Amino acid sequence: MENLISKKDLLEEANISYGQLYRWKRKNLIPENWFIRKSTFTGQETFFPKDDILLRIEKIKTLKDDLSLDELADMFSPSPTLTSLSAEELTNRNIVSQTALDMFNNFHGSNQSFSFTQVLTLYVLNSLLQTGDVNRAEGIDLLKLFHEQALTVKSAGSELFFIRKMGVSFFILTPEPANLFLEPQAKKIAHYKLSQCIEELKLKLS
Amino acid sequence: MERTQLKNISISGSGTSSGGEFNQVKVNGSAHIYGDVICEEFKCNGSAHLEGNITTDTAKINGSTHFEGDVEVKEITINGSSDIDGHLLCDELKVQGSSTIKGDVKGKEIIVRGSASVQGNVSSDEIDVKGQVKIKGDCAAESFEARGNFKIDGLLNAGTIDVELLRHCEAKEIGGENITVKKTRDASGFKKLIKFFMSNHTDQLTVEVIEGDNLYLEHTHAEVVRGNTIEIGPGCDIKRIEYKTSLEVNPDAKVGTQEKI
Repeated sequence: MENLISKKDLLEEANISYGQLYRWKRKNLIPENWFIRKSTFTGQETFFPKDDILLRIEKIKTLKDDLSLDELADMFSPSPTLTSLSAEELTNRNIVSQTALDMFNNFHGSNQSFSFTQVLTLYVLNSLLQTGDVNRAEGIDLLKLFHEQALTVKSAGSELFFIRKMGVSFFILTPEPANLFLEPQAKKIAHYKLSQCIEELKLKLS
Repeated sequence: MERTQLKNISISGSGTSSGGEFNQVKVNGSAHIYGDVICEEFKCNGSAHLEGNITTDTAKINGSTHFEGDVEVKEITINGSSDIDGHLLCDELKVQGSSTIKGDVKGKEIIVRGSASVQGNVSSDEIDVKGQVKIKGDCAAESFEARGNFKIDGLLNAGTIDVELLRHCEAKEIGGENITVKKTRDASGFKKLIKFFMSNHTDQLTVEVIEGDNLYLEHTHAEVVRGNTIEIGPGCDIKRIEYKTSLEVNPDAKVGTQEKI
Protein backbone atom coordinates (compact mmCIF):
# COMPACT_ATOMS: atom_id res chain seq x y z
CA MET A 1 0.00 0.00 0.00
CA GLU A 2 1.12 3.50 -0.72
CA ASN A 3 2.42 5.76 1.96
CA LEU A 4 -0.45 7.80 3.43
CA ILE A 5 -0.42 11.16 5.16
CA SER A 6 -3.22 12.50 7.36
CA LYS A 7 -4.83 15.82 6.54
CA LYS A 8 -3.47 17.44 9.66
CA ASP A 9 0.11 16.38 8.94
CA LEU A 10 -0.28 17.40 5.34
CA LEU A 11 -1.31 20.95 6.24
CA GLU A 12 1.67 21.24 8.52
CA GLU A 13 4.17 19.72 6.13
CA ALA A 14 2.98 21.68 3.10
CA ASN A 15 2.29 24.79 5.17
CA ILE A 16 -1.19 25.41 3.80
CA SER A 17 -4.52 26.08 5.49
CA TYR A 18 -7.78 24.16 5.46
CA GLY A 19 -9.26 26.91 3.32
CA GLN A 20 -6.63 26.47 0.62
CA LEU A 21 -7.04 22.72 0.59
CA TYR A 22 -10.81 22.97 0.24
CA ARG A 23 -10.48 25.65 -2.44
CA TRP A 24 -8.14 23.47 -4.48
CA LYS A 25 -10.44 20.53 -4.05
CA ARG A 26 -13.35 22.67 -5.21
CA LYS A 27 -11.41 23.73 -8.28
CA ASN A 28 -10.60 20.09 -9.06
CA LEU A 29 -6.88 20.60 -8.56
CA ILE A 30 -6.83 17.62 -6.23
CA PRO A 31 -8.60 14.50 -7.49
CA GLU A 32 -11.49 13.17 -5.47
CA ASN A 33 -9.96 9.70 -5.18
CA TRP A 34 -6.97 11.03 -3.29
CA PHE A 35 -9.24 11.78 -0.33
CA ILE A 36 -9.13 8.48 1.52
CA ARG A 37 -11.36 8.13 4.54
CA LYS A 38 -10.34 6.02 7.45
CA SER A 39 -11.60 5.53 10.96
CA THR A 40 -9.26 6.57 13.71
CA PHE A 41 -9.71 7.05 17.43
CA THR A 42 -10.81 10.65 16.82
CA GLY A 43 -13.48 9.54 14.38
CA GLN A 44 -13.31 9.67 10.61
CA GLU A 45 -10.13 11.19 9.26
CA THR A 46 -9.01 11.94 5.75
CA PHE A 47 -5.73 10.64 4.40
CA PHE A 48 -3.88 11.28 1.16
CA PRO A 49 -1.32 9.37 -0.88
CA LYS A 50 1.71 11.15 0.52
CA ASP A 51 4.07 11.44 -2.45
CA ASP A 52 1.35 12.33 -4.93
CA ILE A 53 -0.28 15.02 -2.83
CA LEU A 54 2.96 16.67 -1.73
CA LEU A 55 4.17 16.79 -5.33
CA ARG A 56 0.83 18.20 -6.46
CA ILE A 57 0.75 20.89 -3.77
CA GLU A 58 4.32 21.85 -4.55
CA LYS A 59 3.31 22.29 -8.20
CA ILE A 60 0.21 24.28 -7.35
CA LYS A 61 2.20 26.58 -5.11
CA THR A 62 4.89 27.27 -7.68
CA LEU A 63 2.50 27.68 -10.59
CA LYS A 64 -0.40 29.52 -9.02
CA ASP A 65 1.21 32.93 -9.46
CA ASP A 66 1.50 32.46 -13.21
CA LEU A 67 -1.64 30.51 -13.97
CA SER A 68 -5.21 30.90 -12.81
CA LEU A 69 -6.72 28.09 -10.77
CA ASP A 70 -8.90 27.14 -13.74
CA GLU A 71 -5.85 26.88 -16.00
CA LEU A 72 -4.17 24.75 -13.38
CA ALA A 73 -7.23 22.51 -13.22
CA ASP A 74 -7.02 22.03 -16.99
CA MET A 75 -3.41 21.07 -16.65
CA PHE A 76 -4.04 18.49 -13.96
CA SER A 77 -7.14 17.03 -15.55
CA PRO A 78 -6.48 13.84 -17.48
CA SER A 79 -8.46 15.04 -20.47
CA PRO A 80 -6.36 16.44 -23.27
CA THR A 81 -6.29 20.19 -23.75
CA LEU A 82 -5.30 20.19 -27.38
CA THR A 83 -6.45 18.17 -30.29
CA SER A 84 -3.39 17.92 -32.46
CA LEU A 85 0.17 19.09 -32.85
CA SER A 86 2.41 19.16 -35.91
CA ALA A 87 5.73 17.35 -36.23
CA GLU A 88 7.72 20.59 -36.52
CA GLU A 89 6.15 21.99 -33.39
CA LEU A 90 7.05 18.86 -31.46
CA THR A 91 10.70 19.00 -32.41
CA ASN A 92 11.06 22.77 -32.42
CA ARG A 93 9.69 23.08 -28.94
CA ASN A 94 11.95 20.27 -27.81
CA ILE A 95 9.10 18.12 -26.63
CA VAL A 96 10.37 15.03 -28.42
CA SER A 97 13.61 14.25 -30.24
CA GLN A 98 13.87 13.63 -33.95
CA THR A 99 14.94 10.04 -33.23
CA ALA A 100 11.75 9.27 -31.35
CA LEU A 101 9.73 10.96 -34.06
CA ASP A 102 11.42 8.92 -36.79
CA MET A 103 10.80 5.69 -34.90
CA PHE A 104 7.17 6.59 -34.48
CA ASN A 105 6.80 7.44 -38.16
CA ASN A 106 8.56 4.24 -39.20
CA PHE A 107 6.13 2.25 -37.15
CA HIS A 108 2.91 4.09 -37.90
CA GLY A 109 3.70 5.49 -41.31
CA SER A 110 4.54 9.11 -41.92
CA ASN A 111 2.50 11.46 -39.83
CA GLN A 112 2.37 15.22 -39.93
CA SER A 113 0.02 15.99 -37.09
CA PHE A 114 -0.32 14.10 -33.85
CA SER A 115 -3.25 13.60 -31.50
CA PHE A 116 -2.78 14.07 -27.78
CA THR A 117 -2.51 10.32 -27.17
CA GLN A 118 0.10 10.06 -29.92
CA VAL A 119 2.03 12.97 -28.45
CA LEU A 120 1.89 11.22 -25.10
CA THR A 121 3.22 8.02 -26.67
CA LEU A 122 6.03 9.99 -28.26
CA TYR A 123 6.78 11.75 -25.02
CA VAL A 124 7.08 8.50 -23.06
CA LEU A 125 9.11 6.87 -25.81
CA ASN A 126 11.39 9.88 -25.99
CA SER A 127 12.13 9.98 -22.30
CA LEU A 128 12.78 6.23 -22.21
CA LEU A 129 15.22 6.57 -25.07
CA GLN A 130 16.88 9.66 -23.62
CA THR A 131 17.53 8.03 -20.28
CA GLY A 132 18.96 5.04 -22.10
CA ASP A 133 16.54 2.73 -20.34
CA VAL A 134 15.38 1.15 -23.57
CA ASN A 135 16.99 0.51 -26.92
CA ARG A 136 15.40 1.01 -30.30
CA ALA A 137 14.01 -2.51 -30.62
CA GLU A 138 12.41 -2.19 -27.22
CA GLY A 139 11.05 1.21 -28.21
CA ILE A 140 9.17 -0.50 -31.04
CA ASP A 141 7.68 -2.89 -28.48
CA LEU A 142 6.44 0.13 -26.56
CA LEU A 143 4.87 1.63 -29.68
CA LYS A 144 3.15 -1.68 -30.30
CA LEU A 145 1.83 -1.85 -26.76
CA PHE A 146 0.55 1.74 -26.76
CA HIS A 147 -1.01 1.20 -30.14
CA GLU A 148 -2.86 -1.93 -29.08
CA GLN A 149 -3.88 -0.47 -25.73
CA ALA A 150 -4.78 2.98 -27.04
CA LEU A 151 -7.95 3.06 -24.98
CA THR A 152 -6.14 2.26 -21.74
CA VAL A 153 -3.58 4.93 -22.47
CA LYS A 154 -6.29 7.44 -23.20
CA SER A 155 -8.30 6.79 -20.06
CA ALA A 156 -5.50 8.11 -17.82
CA GLY A 157 -4.66 6.51 -14.54
CA SER A 158 -2.33 3.84 -15.87
CA GLU A 159 1.21 3.00 -14.94
CA LEU A 160 3.92 1.74 -17.21
CA PHE A 161 6.67 -0.58 -16.02
CA PHE A 162 9.71 -1.70 -17.93
CA ILE A 163 11.25 -4.84 -16.52
CA ARG A 164 14.34 -6.75 -17.49
CA LYS A 165 15.54 -10.13 -16.35
CA MET A 166 18.73 -11.72 -17.69
CA GLY A 167 18.62 -9.63 -20.80
CA VAL A 168 14.98 -10.30 -21.58
CA SER A 169 12.87 -7.19 -21.32
CA PHE A 170 9.19 -6.41 -21.42
CA PHE A 171 6.67 -3.65 -20.71
CA ILE A 172 3.71 -3.83 -18.37
CA LEU A 173 0.82 -1.40 -18.61
CA THR A 174 -1.49 -1.58 -15.62
CA PRO A 175 -4.22 0.53 -13.99
CA GLU A 176 -3.18 2.83 -11.20
CA PRO A 177 -2.38 2.21 -8.34
CA ALA A 178 -0.24 -0.75 -9.34
CA ASN A 179 1.21 -3.23 -6.91
CA LEU A 180 3.99 -5.22 -8.50
CA PHE A 181 6.17 -7.70 -6.70
CA LEU A 182 9.23 -8.78 -8.58
CA GLU A 183 11.44 -11.78 -8.16
CA PRO A 184 14.97 -10.94 -7.12
CA GLN A 185 16.67 -11.28 -10.52
CA ALA A 186 14.08 -9.15 -12.27
CA LYS A 187 14.96 -5.52 -12.41
CA LYS A 188 12.55 -2.63 -12.67
CA ILE A 189 14.27 -0.40 -15.21
CA ALA A 190 11.63 2.27 -15.60
CA HIS A 191 8.35 3.19 -13.97
CA TYR A 192 6.06 5.89 -15.32
CA LYS A 193 2.74 7.11 -14.07
CA LEU A 194 0.90 8.17 -17.19
CA SER A 195 -1.15 10.75 -15.28
CA GLN A 196 2.09 12.43 -14.28
CA CYS A 197 3.42 12.23 -17.83
CA ILE A 198 0.25 13.96 -19.01
CA GLU A 199 0.78 16.75 -16.50
CA GLU A 200 4.40 17.24 -17.52
CA LEU A 201 3.42 17.20 -21.12
CA LYS A 202 0.67 19.76 -20.61
CA LEU A 203 3.07 21.97 -18.77
CA LYS A 204 5.47 21.83 -21.70
CA LEU A 205 2.74 22.48 -24.20
CA SER A 206 1.18 25.41 -22.37
CA MET B 1 -28.88 33.36 -39.56
CA GLU B 2 -30.82 30.16 -39.26
CA ARG B 3 -32.46 31.55 -36.17
CA THR B 4 -34.98 33.46 -38.26
CA GLN B 5 -36.10 30.27 -39.93
CA LEU B 6 -36.96 28.56 -36.69
CA LYS B 7 -40.64 28.24 -35.93
CA ASN B 8 -42.49 28.87 -32.74
CA ILE B 9 -44.63 26.21 -31.19
CA SER B 10 -47.49 26.97 -28.90
CA ILE B 11 -49.55 24.31 -27.22
CA SER B 12 -52.78 25.63 -25.73
CA GLY B 13 -55.21 23.12 -24.42
CA SER B 14 -53.86 19.65 -24.58
CA GLY B 15 -51.37 18.61 -27.21
CA THR B 16 -48.35 16.58 -28.08
CA SER B 17 -45.18 17.24 -30.02
CA SER B 18 -42.34 15.06 -31.14
CA GLY B 19 -39.79 17.70 -30.22
CA GLY B 20 -37.28 19.35 -32.49
CA GLU B 21 -35.66 22.70 -33.00
CA PHE B 22 -37.70 25.81 -32.35
CA ASN B 23 -37.43 29.48 -31.60
CA GLN B 24 -40.04 29.59 -28.86
CA VAL B 25 -41.89 26.79 -27.13
CA LYS B 26 -44.92 27.85 -25.15
CA VAL B 27 -47.25 25.60 -23.21
CA ASN B 28 -50.46 27.04 -21.83
CA GLY B 29 -52.43 23.89 -21.22
CA SER B 30 -50.97 20.48 -20.97
CA ALA B 31 -48.29 19.20 -23.29
CA HIS B 32 -46.46 15.97 -23.84
CA ILE B 33 -43.25 16.21 -25.84
CA TYR B 34 -41.73 12.93 -26.91
CA GLY B 35 -38.29 13.91 -28.14
CA ASP B 36 -35.43 16.30 -27.52
CA VAL B 37 -36.06 20.01 -27.74
CA ILE B 38 -33.64 22.74 -28.75
CA CYS B 39 -35.02 26.25 -28.53
CA GLU B 40 -34.34 29.86 -27.59
CA GLU B 41 -37.16 30.21 -25.13
CA PHE B 42 -39.20 27.67 -23.22
CA LYS B 43 -42.22 28.79 -21.30
CA CYS B 44 -44.69 26.63 -19.47
CA ASN B 45 -47.78 28.03 -17.83
CA GLY B 46 -49.67 24.78 -17.55
CA SER B 47 -48.16 21.40 -17.28
CA ALA B 48 -45.55 19.91 -19.54
CA HIS B 49 -43.95 16.52 -19.78
CA LEU B 50 -40.78 16.21 -21.80
CA GLU B 51 -39.34 12.80 -22.49
CA GLY B 52 -36.06 13.95 -23.96
CA ASN B 53 -33.34 16.45 -23.22
CA ILE B 54 -33.81 20.17 -23.58
CA THR B 55 -31.34 22.87 -24.53
CA THR B 56 -32.60 26.41 -24.37
CA ASP B 57 -31.54 29.98 -23.62
CA THR B 58 -34.26 30.76 -21.15
CA ALA B 59 -36.79 28.59 -19.44
CA LYS B 60 -39.63 29.86 -17.35
CA ILE B 61 -41.87 27.44 -15.55
CA ASN B 62 -44.99 28.85 -13.98
CA GLY B 63 -46.93 25.64 -13.91
CA SER B 64 -45.50 22.22 -13.48
CA THR B 65 -43.04 20.37 -15.66
CA HIS B 66 -41.39 17.04 -15.73
CA PHE B 67 -38.16 16.72 -17.71
CA GLU B 68 -37.05 13.14 -18.13
CA GLY B 69 -33.69 14.03 -19.61
CA ASP B 70 -30.97 16.62 -19.04
CA VAL B 71 -31.68 20.32 -19.02
CA GLU B 72 -29.13 22.73 -20.42
CA VAL B 73 -30.15 26.35 -20.10
CA LYS B 74 -28.66 29.79 -19.55
CA GLU B 75 -31.41 31.13 -17.35
CA ILE B 76 -34.11 29.09 -15.73
CA THR B 77 -36.83 30.33 -13.41
CA ILE B 78 -39.11 27.89 -11.67
CA ASN B 79 -42.15 29.53 -10.13
CA GLY B 80 -44.25 26.43 -10.04
CA SER B 81 -42.89 23.00 -9.61
CA SER B 82 -40.43 21.15 -11.69
CA ASP B 83 -38.93 17.69 -11.74
CA ILE B 84 -35.75 16.98 -13.64
CA ASP B 85 -34.66 13.36 -13.90
CA GLY B 86 -31.33 14.16 -15.51
CA HIS B 87 -28.67 16.78 -14.85
CA LEU B 88 -29.25 20.51 -14.84
CA LEU B 89 -26.58 22.67 -16.41
CA CYS B 90 -27.26 26.38 -16.21
CA ASP B 91 -25.85 29.86 -15.68
CA GLU B 92 -28.63 31.08 -13.49
CA LEU B 93 -31.17 29.00 -11.63
CA LYS B 94 -33.96 30.59 -9.69
CA VAL B 95 -36.34 28.37 -7.78
CA GLN B 96 -39.29 30.21 -6.35
CA GLY B 97 -41.55 27.23 -6.18
CA SER B 98 -40.35 23.74 -5.68
CA SER B 99 -37.99 21.67 -7.67
CA THR B 100 -36.57 18.17 -7.57
CA ILE B 101 -33.49 17.25 -9.57
CA LYS B 102 -32.33 13.67 -9.71
CA GLY B 103 -28.96 14.35 -11.32
CA ASP B 104 -26.25 16.93 -10.67
CA VAL B 105 -26.74 20.67 -10.78
CA LYS B 106 -24.03 22.84 -12.20
CA GLY B 107 -24.49 26.60 -12.38
CA LYS B 108 -22.97 30.01 -11.84
CA GLU B 109 -25.72 31.49 -9.72
CA ILE B 110 -28.28 29.46 -7.87
CA ILE B 111 -31.05 31.23 -6.00
CA VAL B 112 -33.59 29.28 -4.01
CA ARG B 113 -36.56 31.08 -2.54
CA GLY B 114 -38.77 28.06 -2.21
CA SER B 115 -37.65 24.53 -1.88
CA ALA B 116 -35.17 22.55 -3.92
CA SER B 117 -34.07 18.99 -3.64
CA VAL B 118 -31.09 17.58 -5.49
CA GLN B 119 -30.07 13.94 -5.46
CA GLY B 120 -26.70 14.46 -7.10
CA ASN B 121 -23.96 17.00 -6.48
CA VAL B 122 -24.36 20.76 -6.69
CA SER B 123 -21.67 23.14 -7.84
CA SER B 124 -21.97 26.82 -8.54
CA ASP B 125 -20.11 30.10 -8.05
CA GLU B 126 -22.85 31.43 -5.84
CA ILE B 127 -25.60 29.70 -3.94
CA ASP B 128 -28.18 31.78 -2.13
CA VAL B 129 -30.92 30.02 -0.22
CA LYS B 130 -33.85 31.56 1.54
CA GLY B 131 -36.04 28.57 1.97
CA GLN B 132 -35.13 24.96 1.99
CA VAL B 133 -32.60 22.82 0.17
CA LYS B 134 -31.86 19.15 0.37
CA ILE B 135 -28.76 17.81 -1.33
CA LYS B 136 -27.90 14.12 -1.32
CA GLY B 137 -24.41 14.61 -2.70
CA ASP B 138 -21.74 17.26 -2.19
CA CYS B 139 -22.25 20.98 -2.53
CA ALA B 140 -19.44 23.23 -3.76
CA ALA B 141 -19.55 27.00 -4.24
CA GLU B 142 -17.41 30.07 -3.91
CA SER B 143 -20.10 31.62 -1.77
CA PHE B 144 -22.85 29.77 0.06
CA GLU B 145 -25.43 31.87 1.79
CA ALA B 146 -28.42 30.36 3.52
CA ARG B 147 -31.23 31.83 5.57
CA GLY B 148 -33.33 28.84 6.18
CA ASN B 149 -33.17 25.16 6.28
CA PHE B 150 -30.70 22.88 4.57
CA LYS B 151 -29.72 19.25 4.64
CA ILE B 152 -26.58 18.19 2.84
CA ASP B 153 -25.68 14.53 3.02
CA GLY B 154 -22.19 15.06 1.66
CA LEU B 155 -19.59 17.80 1.96
CA LEU B 156 -20.44 21.48 1.90
CA ASN B 157 -17.33 23.10 0.46
CA ALA B 158 -17.33 26.86 -0.11
CA GLY B 159 -15.02 29.84 0.09
CA THR B 160 -17.46 31.83 2.18
CA ILE B 161 -20.20 30.10 4.09
CA ASP B 162 -22.75 32.35 5.73
CA VAL B 163 -25.62 30.60 7.43
CA GLU B 164 -28.57 31.79 9.45
CA LEU B 165 -30.17 28.73 10.90
CA LEU B 166 -33.82 27.88 10.75
CA ARG B 167 -34.94 24.71 12.43
CA HIS B 168 -32.70 21.71 12.18
CA CYS B 169 -29.96 22.12 9.55
CA GLU B 170 -27.64 19.29 8.72
CA ALA B 171 -24.46 18.61 6.78
CA LYS B 172 -22.07 15.71 6.94
CA GLU B 173 -18.98 17.85 6.59
CA ILE B 174 -18.29 21.52 6.09
CA GLY B 175 -15.05 22.93 4.74
CA GLY B 176 -13.99 26.34 3.50
CA GLU B 177 -12.20 29.59 4.19
CA ASN B 178 -14.65 31.76 6.14
CA ILE B 179 -17.50 30.01 7.85
CA THR B 180 -20.17 31.83 9.83
CA VAL B 181 -23.12 30.06 11.40
CA LYS B 182 -25.66 32.16 13.29
CA LYS B 183 -29.12 31.81 14.69
CA THR B 184 -31.69 34.02 12.99
CA ARG B 185 -32.09 37.10 15.12
CA ASP B 186 -35.07 38.95 13.77
CA ALA B 187 -38.21 37.27 14.98
CA SER B 188 -40.56 38.34 12.22
CA GLY B 189 -44.24 37.49 12.38
CA PHE B 190 -43.81 34.82 9.76
CA LYS B 191 -41.08 33.11 11.66
CA LYS B 192 -43.02 33.23 14.85
CA LEU B 193 -45.85 31.56 13.02
CA ILE B 194 -43.57 28.80 11.77
CA LYS B 195 -42.20 28.42 15.25
CA PHE B 196 -45.71 28.14 16.62
CA PHE B 197 -46.49 25.18 14.37
CA MET B 198 -43.08 23.57 14.69
CA SER B 199 -42.51 24.22 18.32
CA ASN B 200 -40.51 21.07 18.87
CA HIS B 201 -37.79 22.18 16.43
CA THR B 202 -34.98 24.31 17.70
CA ASP B 203 -32.65 26.20 15.40
CA GLN B 204 -29.55 24.11 15.23
CA LEU B 205 -26.84 22.85 12.92
CA THR B 206 -25.68 19.26 13.19
CA VAL B 207 -22.47 18.34 11.42
CA GLU B 208 -19.71 15.78 11.88
CA VAL B 209 -16.68 17.84 10.94
CA ILE B 210 -16.11 21.53 10.27
CA GLU B 211 -12.76 22.60 8.87
CA GLY B 212 -11.90 26.12 7.82
CA ASP B 213 -9.65 29.14 8.26
CA ASN B 214 -11.90 31.55 10.14
CA LEU B 215 -14.89 30.14 11.92
CA TYR B 216 -17.72 31.66 13.90
CA LEU B 217 -20.27 29.14 15.10
CA GLU B 218 -23.50 29.37 17.06
CA HIS B 219 -25.86 26.55 17.97
CA THR B 220 -23.69 24.04 16.21
CA HIS B 221 -23.41 20.43 17.25
CA ALA B 222 -20.25 18.88 15.89
CA GLU B 223 -17.85 16.04 16.56
CA VAL B 224 -14.74 17.93 15.46
CA VAL B 225 -14.06 21.56 14.57
CA ARG B 226 -10.68 22.45 13.11
CA GLY B 227 -9.44 25.87 12.03
CA ASN B 228 -7.06 28.80 12.40
CA THR B 229 -9.16 31.32 14.27
CA ILE B 230 -12.23 29.89 15.91
CA GLU B 231 -14.96 31.64 17.83
CA ILE B 232 -17.53 29.43 19.47
CA GLY B 233 -20.78 31.23 20.20
CA PRO B 234 -23.73 30.29 22.40
CA GLY B 235 -25.57 27.02 22.11
CA CYS B 236 -22.71 25.01 20.64
CA ASP B 237 -21.97 21.44 21.60
CA ILE B 238 -18.61 20.41 20.20
CA LYS B 239 -16.70 17.30 21.23
CA ARG B 240 -13.27 18.34 20.02
CA ILE B 241 -11.67 21.55 18.78
CA GLU B 242 -8.29 21.86 17.10
CA TYR B 243 -7.09 25.39 16.43
CA LYS B 244 -3.97 27.06 15.18
CA THR B 245 -4.09 30.77 16.02
CA SER B 246 -6.87 31.60 18.44
CA LEU B 247 -9.92 30.15 20.12
CA GLU B 248 -12.70 31.93 21.97
CA VAL B 249 -15.48 30.05 23.66
CA ASN B 250 -18.76 31.53 24.83
CA PRO B 251 -19.74 30.46 28.37
CA ASP B 252 -23.02 29.12 26.97
CA ALA B 253 -21.21 26.63 24.78
CA LYS B 254 -20.23 23.10 25.61
CA VAL B 255 -16.81 22.04 24.38
CA GLY B 256 -15.10 18.71 25.04
CA THR B 257 -11.38 18.72 24.39
CA GLN B 258 -9.53 21.62 22.84
CA GLU B 259 -6.04 21.48 21.45
CA LYS B 260 -3.73 24.11 19.98
CA ILE B 261 -1.72 22.78 17.09
